[in-house]
Amino acid sequence: MERFALEKGEGDSLQFFSDRVRIEGRSLWSRNALKGVSLRGERLKREGRKEWRQWNPRTSKIAAGLLKSKQESLLPESGGTCLYLGSGHGTTISHLHDHVCGAKNHLGGTIIAVDISPRCIRDVIRLSSSRPGILPVLADCRDLESVSPFLNSKVPWIFQDVSQSNQVELFIKTCERFLSNGGTALLSLKSASERESSGAFAHAENTLTEAGFTLVERIDLAGWEEKHMLFHVVK
Amino acid sequence: MELAWDWRLARVYDGENQIVDECIWSGNQSISATVKRLKILKQGHLTEEARTLLERNPEIKPIPITSVEDWPPLSPSETELLQKCSLILAEQEVIEAASEPDYRLEHLVRAVEESRITANNLESQLVEWVGMFLPSLDINEQRTTITEAVQKTSDFQELAAHLNCEIKAEVNPNECASIRAMSEQIALMNSTANTIEQAMQKLARSHLPSLSKLLGPSIAAKLCVSAHGRSRLARLPAGTIQVLGAEKSFFSHIQKGTKPPKHGHIFQHTWISRSPKSMRGSIARMLAAKAAIAVRTDCYGGEPWGDKQLAEVEQKVGAIRSRKRRR
Repeated sequence: MERFALEKGEGDSLQFFSDRVRIEGRSLWSRNALKGVSLRGERLKREGRKEWRQWNPRTSKIAAGLLKSKQESLLPESGGTCLYLGSGHGTTISHLHDHVCGAKNHLGGTIIAVDISPRCIRDVIRLSSSRPGILPVLADCRDLESVSPFLNSKVPWIFQDVSQSNQVELFIKTCERFLSNGGTALLSLKSASERESSGAFAHAENTLTEAGFTLVERIDLAGWEEKHMLFHVVK
Repeated sequence: MELAWDWRLARVYDGENQIVDECIWSGNQSISATVKRLKILKQGHLTEEARTLLERNPEIKPIPITSVEDWPPLSPSETELLQKCSLILAEQEVIEAASEPDYRLEHLVRAVEESRITANNLESQLVEWVGMFLPSLDINEQRTTITEAVQKTSDFQELAAHLNCEIKAEVNPNECASIRAMSEQIALMNSTANTIEQAMQKLARSHLPSLSKLLGPSIAAKLCVSAHGRSRLARLPAGTIQVLGAEKSFFSHIQKGTKPPKHGHIFQHTWISRSPKSMRGSIARMLAAKAAIAVRTDCYGGEPWGDKQLAEVEQKVGAIRSRKRRR
C-alpha cells in the first residue's frame, strides 16, 4: 500500500493511507462506517457524503504508530482478516473496522478481537452489534487453542497488545501459528511490563529477528505513549 | 497421519498432504448448535466428526487447521454464521463471568470501602460544622454521638441540650436544615455499608470457608480481591500474602530501600493489631503461612477448616507471644 500526499488548498496537507484513513495536518482521521456515531466523543467531520472520525493517538497505539511511522503503511488491507489480541474497550477496533470493513461490512472484512477481561469484551460486544465484521472472543491469548476456532486459515495481519512479561515469546508463538507468509504483524511493547525494563527493546528486537522475522520498522511512540515501542515485522 | 478439524468438518491427511478420510458435520447448522461446537473447540476438545475419524484411525496426530494448506474456506453464509455465533458465545461467557464469586467479591469489597470512606468524610465535615456553632462541645470525646444527636433533635437549642452544652451563636434555619439533611445522609451511608458488608461476608464464607474461618470473612475477601481472584491467591507464596495490601510501602522498600512492610491486610486481624509491635512481624509471618494453606484448601477442594484448626493456630499465636515476652 503506497502512502501518497495530496496538496489541497493552502498549507492543509492531506496524506492518505487508503481511501478510508488519512492524515490531515497533524491529526489522523478514519472514514466513519457508522455515520453520526462518535464512540468516545471523537470529533466528526462532514465532507460531502463522507463522514470522517478523528483517530486519537493518545488512546490508540496504532494511531500513534501511523503518525510516527516513516515507512509504508502498517494498516491491514481493506476487506482482509485481522487478528487483534488485547482488544481493550474497542476504541482502536472501531477505527480498524472503519478501514477493514466499512459501513455494514460492505468490504467483507473480519476482525477477530480477543481479550481476557469480561469487562472489555462487554464493550466490544456492544460495538460489534452495530458494526458487523467484528468477532468478539473472550479468551486468554496465551492459550492459542481458545483463539483458533474462530480462524479458518492463517491471517495476513496480527496486532498484539497484551501486558504480559513474556509477550515477545507469545508474539512469536502466535505468529508462527496464525500469521500467513508475507503477513504483517505488529507488537506493542511497554518496557515497564518486561522483567528487565532497561534493555527490553533491544532484547525484543534480537529475539524477533532470530525467530526469522524481518523487522520493517521500530516505532517509538514517545509523545503519545511513554516508554512504548511498536515493532512492525513481516514474516 | 494427521487429523485436523474445525466446527464444520474433520479431515485426515497423510504425509503428503493428501486427504485420506473426511467427515463433514451433517447436522442442522443452527445458531445454538454452532455456538455449542465453538464452545467445545475453545476448550480444546474434539468435535463428533473428529472423534469418529479418531476411532477409525487410532494412530493419528492432531494438527491445527492453520497448518493445512488447502483447508476449505468459509462460504459467505458460514462467515455470517460464525460471526453471529461468536457474538452469542461471547455474550454467554460474559454472563457466566458475572456469576463468578471472584468478580462479585471485587465489587462488594470496593463498594464497602467506598461507602465507609464517604460516611467518614461526611461525618468529619458534620462534626466540624456543628462544633463551630457549639464552642463548648468536646468534639473529640463526643465525636461518635454527634451525628445521631443531630438526627434526633429538631433544632440547635434541642441539640445543645442533648449534648449538654450551651448554644450562644445564632444558627440560620436554612443551615440548620442542611446540617440535619447531612446527618441523615451519613446514617443512610452507614447502613448501606453495613448491608453491603453483610453480603460480602456471606459470599466470602461460602467462597473462602477456611480462610474466612482463620482470618474472618472481611480480611479473607480483601486478600482475595488484592490477589485478583481465589485461584491466584492460592498460587501466591505466604510471603506475598503477608504483604498484600501493603503495596505502597513494599514498592517503596524495593525502589528506595525503606524498611520492608511486616503486614498488609492481615494487620487488621486482632492477633496482629492488638499485639505489641515487637511481636507483630513474627505473628504475621506465621499467620500468612497458615492463610496460604487455608486458601489452597478452599481453592483445590479440601475439607474446610473448623474450630480444631483455628485452635491450633491460636495456640501458636500464644506460643509466639509468650516466647517473645520472655526475652
